[in-house]
Amino acid sequence: MTAIPPLELTHFQAFLLFAVVISVTFGFLGRRRPKDRVKYILWSLFLFLLVGIGVGWAMFPFSR
Amino acid sequence: MDEPLQNLANDGAQFTPSTKEERFPRESRAVAIGIAGWLIPGLGHALQRMWGRAVVVFLAVGLLIFAGASMKGNVFTHQGNDAFDTLGYIADLGTGSFYLFARAIETGGADVSHADGDYGTRLLATAGVLNLLAALHAYEAARGHKA
Repeated sequence: MTAIPPLELTHFQAFLLFAVVISVTFGFLGRRRPKDRVKYILWSLFLFLLVGIGVGWAMFPFSR
Repeated sequence: MDEPLQNLANDGAQFTPSTKEERFPRESRAVAIGIAGWLIPGLGHALQRMWGRAVVVFLAVGLLIFAGASMKGNVFTHQGNDAFDTLGYIADLGTGSFYLFARAIETGGADVSHADGDYGTRLLATAGVLNLLAALHAYEAARGHKA
């Protein structure tokens, strides 16, 4: 099999990919009704982004 | 033996196990569904006609594997140097048959000297753990627990 082309993502893109995929999967596994799923996915995605960016900023003073 | 069961069924108030369930008890079926879900992501839900969940799990694990391997993440083998390698191997094995897919498409080898490779390693491990969670969910659903 030939090698696949390398995928180059920024830190934020990789983080966003992770957050979207996990939120959607958790939403489908954890909720039944479509409306509940959408609410769960959006809330989970928001919290992922909030915590991820928050932790990133919190580590900024120690980055050098 | 058949007659009392038939009477109960006619009453409509008692649960009558079907012939299929008698041959293949519920717990064994749930275990088989859990293993199927681990081997092929989404299959555990597909066997229970949970099509939406099956498709989402299959695509999510497949996407994470593809992205992780494309970013030159480390697909761990059983020949680990330390406990973290072993943990990574266990997490990667969680993807079931997709582990072989990851090994097959990452022919260039891992490169974790850059951030991309490190993120790729995390995405591959995430795919494994996510699939184990989905397989456990399918198992619980097959046992009749609310899912």
